[in-house]
Amino acid sequence: MRTRRMRVPPLVGGVLLLIASIPPTLGAQGGRISYEAFALPNGLRVLYSEDHSTPIVSVDVWYNAGSRNERPGRSGFAHLFEHMMFEGSAHVKKGEHFQLISRAGGSENGSTAEDRTNYHETVPSNRLNLALWLEADRMRALAITDENFHNQRETVKEERRLRIDNPPYAAAFVDGMTWPFDSVGCFAYAHTVIGSMDDLNAAQLADVQAFFDTYYAPNNATLVVVGDFRALELRRLVNQYFSDIPRHADPPPVACAVRFSPGLMRREVTDQHANLPAVVRIYRVPSHADPDTPALELLNIILGQGESSRLNVAIVRREKAAVGAQVAMNPFDSRRGPGVLLALAIANQGIDVARLDTLLAAQLDTVRAAGVTADELTKAKNTFRANFIHNRETTLGRAEELHHYDMFHASVGELNTDLDRYMGLTADDVRRVAAKYLDPANALVVIVKPPKAGSAQ
Amino acid sequence: MSRRLLVAAALLSVVPSFPRLSAQGFPTTPPKPTRLAPARFPPFKEATLPNGLQLVVVEQHEQPVVSVSLAFRAGETYDPAGKEGLAELTAELLSKGTESRTADQIAATIEGVGGSLSASAGPDFLTISVDALSDQAELVFALLGDVTLHSTFPEGELALARTRALSALALQLSQPGTVAQRFFSSEVYGRNPYGRSATRESYQAVTRDDVIQFARVRLRPSGALLVVAGDVTDAQARELATKAFADWHGAAPANPALPTPPAHPATSILLVHRPGSAQANIALGNTTIAPTDPIYYSGRVATQVLGGGADARLFLILREQKSWTYGAYASLHRYRGLGYWEATAEVRTDVADSALAELLRQVERIRTDAIPDSELVAAKGFLVGSFPLTIETASQIAGQVANAKLLGLGDDYLRLYRERLSAVTALQARAAAARLYRARALTIVVVGDGAKLYDRLKALAPVRVVDVDGKPLTPADLTPPAAPVALDPRQFVPHTDSSRVLLQGNPAGFTVSEVRRSGDSLAYAERSNLAGGVFQQQTTVLLNPTDGSVQQVDQETTQQGQKAETHLTYRGGRVKGSSASPQQDGSVKRFDIDTTLPPGTMDENAVPFLVPALPLASGKSFTLTFFTPSENAIKTLTFKVTGPASITVPAGSFQAYQIDVTGSRLPFTMYVSTDSLRKVVKTEFVGQPFVVELVK
Repeated sequence: MRTRRMRVPPLVGGVLLLIASIPPTLGAQGGRISYEAFALPNGLRVLYSEDHSTPIVSVDVWYNAGSRNERPGRSGFAHLFEHMMFEGSAHVKKGEHFQLISRAGGSENGSTAEDRTNYHETVPSNRLNLALWLEADRMRALAITDENFHNQRETVKEERRLRIDNPPYAAAFVDGMTWPFDSVGCFAYAHTVIGSMDDLNAAQLADVQAFFDTYYAPNNATLVVVGDFRALELRRLVNQYFSDIPRHADPPPVACAVRFSPGLMRREVTDQHANLPAVVRIYRVPSHADPDTPALELLNIILGQGESSRLNVAIVRREKAAVGAQVAMNPFDSRRGPGVLLALAIANQGIDVARLDTLLAAQLDTVRAAGVTADELTKAKNTFRANFIHNRETTLGRAEELHHYDMFHASVGELNTDLDRYMGLTADDVRRVAAKYLDPANALVVIVKPPKAGSAQ
Repeated sequence: MSRRLLVAAALLSVVPSFPRLSAQGFPTTPPKPTRLAPARFPPFKEATLPNGLQLVVVEQHEQPVVSVSLAFRAGETYDPAGKEGLAELTAELLSKGTESRTADQIAATIEGVGGSLSASAGPDFLTISVDALSDQAELVFALLGDVTLHSTFPEGELALARTRALSALALQLSQPGTVAQRFFSSEVYGRNPYGRSATRESYQAVTRDDVIQFARVRLRPSGALLVVAGDVTDAQARELATKAFADWHGAAPANPALPTPPAHPATSILLVHRPGSAQANIALGNTTIAPTDPIYYSGRVATQVLGGGADARLFLILREQKSWTYGAYASLHRYRGLGYWEATAEVRTDVADSALAELLRQVERIRTDAIPDSELVAAKGFLVGSFPLTIETASQIAGQVANAKLLGLGDDYLRLYRERLSAVTALQARAAAARLYRARALTIVVVGDGAKLYDRLKALAPVRVVDVDGKPLTPADLTPPAAPVALDPRQFVPHTDSSRVLLQGNPAGFTVSEVRRSGDSLAYAERSNLAGGVFQQQTTVLLNPTDGSVQQVDQETTQQGQKAETHLTYRGGRVKGSSASPQQDGSVKRFDIDTTLPPGTMDENAVPFLVPALPLASGKSFTLTFFTPSENAIKTLTFKVTGPASITVPAGSFQAYQIDVTGSRLPFTMYVSTDSLRKVVKTEFVGQPFVVELVK
């Protein structure tokens, strides 16, 4: 029912870029979001943005907890916990959360990433009170029962089978993201969000209760409300519903030091569901707040986004070596700690996977040495700007943007200035980060092989 | 009674009359809705350009985006009979090349500015959509004008689009839910174009000239609707539209009156026989109303109560209470012409009759019994509340405006939509259900295993039976024939065929098959080698030389160096022995086999031997029983023959029958030559990248 934000980008075939030049189009920028902030004595921070253009409102709570907060032997907990949040609370019966929102005409969802867990509702503006009340009730007193726990643990295991274990390449992609991090120095990112089956099986009800007590506290959450409401009414409701939820002890901080390994690392895995071999090249990249991030984002678009991307044009169309090729950076969400940039290509039939990797590496080496063209830079900026604006078209999209800047940037105010940083980048900036991060010494190469036999029927 | 108890009693009697608050002021029940804000559908401006193009501009300056859609009355209902799929292929080809841009250039141009362009055909309309940032408005209109006026519909792109459409169709036809919808439409609408669906033949009948002609006749400015939404001014939109479509002329295309759908005098069931189906897919309903009929609002509420989602009667009863199905829903559909309603459920075969009876009971109940307030409030809450969530972005608004305009729903439709739904009473909803759901003249389609369903269903309503192609069957046809189909012994002559296996068009291995005779013994042997020896299989099937029935099967499979053997004997209506087959995960699945077989059962390994020996003729269909050793299962396979047509493989060009085989683990298609000694020329697997082609 709830789709997690675990996007493994689909591979798409493409069209060769033939057009000679694209006009630069960086005039009006758009996407500006005005907002206010306040905090309750119990530590709950609130950001809000009024917009009366459509009579709807989005309520979006981010807990400052994700898989990065998990301990060894307890992976998958943040996500399992997210499921528990829909199983009822002190005044909401099992299944009632969904029913109440549906009968209001609203929509709701939640998702878990490395650094955060989110829960949100979009409702007609006359049901703002309902959405806030539901979030307050489960922040205050979740129904943590044995029955709910066992039931949801099975659901999560099923989700793991469905999303990770069953589709081809998903396991290599998701597991591969964790391999650049050694679990001693940085367990935070050295295990997957979905967690291991063994850890899920070992999970105990008491662990769930402890997780709730540690992380699901007003002083570890941020509430964002965007849409058609009056600030005074919002403050009144937030006070009434949230102010008496007790503050908990602050959760322990998570340390995560990343070390670049001395040389190129290679791993080979067998994927039972793959018919064709694949290559995933994984590069460590810095935290989202690092000044190199914008140039890395544009590099990501130039290399691997869309039909006119370098990998598609060179490897899929020209060499016919891959059925698809893409690049992604931190595919679940941004991170406060170090992250990954992944280049993925699935080999065409009859193409040796070593040759595919050579072609992939050659493309990355070329961009390190020769940089990007002016047209590529313009396309990347246009694409980034269009995505940036489309993300802000809906109340929920704006709520997520407020959270993103609040959590991953030095100040939430960068919300309205960040695009300028991207638009100001030069081809040299992109080339510099390519040279720095696409260094072979910074690469972990994962070769995915199908099971040895091709069974024809 | 002590004084203290008296006080307590007094308190208890008083407390419930206050809103219940926890000590700190947190309400213990969900808060009530506050006043509903008036719906403020964004205002829009309309104009008609000199060439007759109707323009609607929805100014929305919140974000610098623009969304443009151009809709024509050129949907699937305008496909000429026999060329269903023409509108769909035309739509797809619009962005695949113009006089000044190749398909690649169109994609690169729009992608270079971070935008998108697409076109599609629905039942009534063909729509081209372009989205981009508003500073690209000029480019958006230039591209839209170019693909609308100057498309060249290249032959090569048509071939590509057709191939994609055919493989999508093959996949759809293997899904019983889609099969049910196709039959439901044709039953409800008859010869009315809303009842037709594209077929393999109709896609193949579409030529480039048809596409050019369709575009020339149907894509005219007069009668078309251009909706521009987002960060543009009315004046700017007009100017851009005028410029993009300046040289475009043409009177509105003719819109012939559609034939009246057939009258259904009484409820009846069409049973679509799909041998071996594990489930029964049920669709029932009837035609309803024109889109402008004011009863729509009450009907929408009634349909929501009946089956609008996980909170509605059909779902709660058929799934939650009875566990008969994963989901059961009802929906009301509007067309530009006469719409329809339907209820659908996918249920286990053994409860199909109970589930259908319950569906009919619920249809009757909502037509006759008063709808309780709680259900009415929940249904209206969803319908009224969810509407503003669908008009947030410029492209959503454009979609809503286009829908209202194209269906002719009137100028106040969007403005009053919520109020009209809110005003529906329980009595009105019931009256609408009574009028819209023709309980005594329903069309019911059930797709499933007819042999198991026929007797169950005929107790509920008169049943007609057809096969998945619509060919009428008698109840006697439903049980597989007691005697095997006679094979042609003239095909039992010794010969050897070599074929290659292609994976996504690349050679991946070979297979050699051989029919051997010595004395009075007949054998079919097959040897396969894939991925350079990683997978090897040898099969020998001993057959009765007179009638071709199976006597013995020996098979050896080596996968990743792991060997597995199967040895079976067929005698006296039984199969005995053991089977072993390597699995994808490296394990080996083994069965000890001792099973009674229906008369005439063949071994599935003998399919390539048996099919050429069937009395093949175009239009014929064979249903045969097989034993599948690797699954220890008895299956009913259906072989449907069409053609012959010319087919070219490395061994040469052949006139070959096309034989579509369903009922096996994967549906597949065999092409068998019409020579006096028939050969399997080619084999394709639906949805799989494998093809086997005859080399010599």
